[in-house]
Amino acid sequence: MSKDPNPLPWGAQDRFQAHFIVKTGSQRVNSEFLAKTKLKTEGHFAAKKVANVEWIGGNITLMLNADSELANMISKLPYNDAKIWVEPTRNGIRIHGGWKSSYEFRVSKELFGVYDRIASHVKRALGSPPV
Amino acid sequence: MHDSESDIFSQTSTREEFCNSLEKIGVDAEVAQIGTDEIEEGDYYSKHFTHSPAMVTNHGCIRVKGYNIDVVQIIQKG
Repeated sequence: MSKDPNPLPWGAQDRFQAHFIVKTGSQRVNSEFLAKTKLKTEGHFAAKKVANVEWIGGNITLMLNADSELANMISKLPYNDAKIWVEPTRNGIRIHGGWKSSYEFRVSKELFGVYDRIASHVKRALGSPPV
Repeated sequence: MHDSESDIFSQTSTREEFCNSLEKIGVDAEVAQIGTDEIEEGDYYSKHFTHSPAMVTNHGCIRVKGYNIDVVQIIQKG
């Protein structure tokens, strides 16, 4: 029997994600809360920067795309941090970025500010007043 | 042998380390005991995006006060 030249990794990997969650309680949420950033960039490799941000997904994107200050905040983030997803699940709406290794797994003040601003739009869409 | 290395170290979990990074940027955060938050039950992804992993490990939650975000959950791939 020949050995698999590309074995699939299994078990826990050195890839972490932090989900910033707005709880919905008993309120049912659906795909109208789905959103992800579509980035326009400038430059290449280490010099790659975000030039423009567009949100694609459900109805929540209307609120997110209308917030020019949010777009401005995201464009100042490093390229990898600017990739953001908003996902509804059973108990809450999750805002998260991509996977990070344990060495780079932390949050900056600017990134937390962006997540909190997205969360304020989510709260408003849920009908509760933002903080 | 490195004499500069301390003989004592404090073992911290991933969520404790992440909680420390939140406190460093001025966020009032508190580590919750694993498995105590309702958010840890059920799916962690909507499965609407193609990147959703098939298997993940829950590392517990951090409660955040004074922000629109209620809780932060730490997840590991695999």
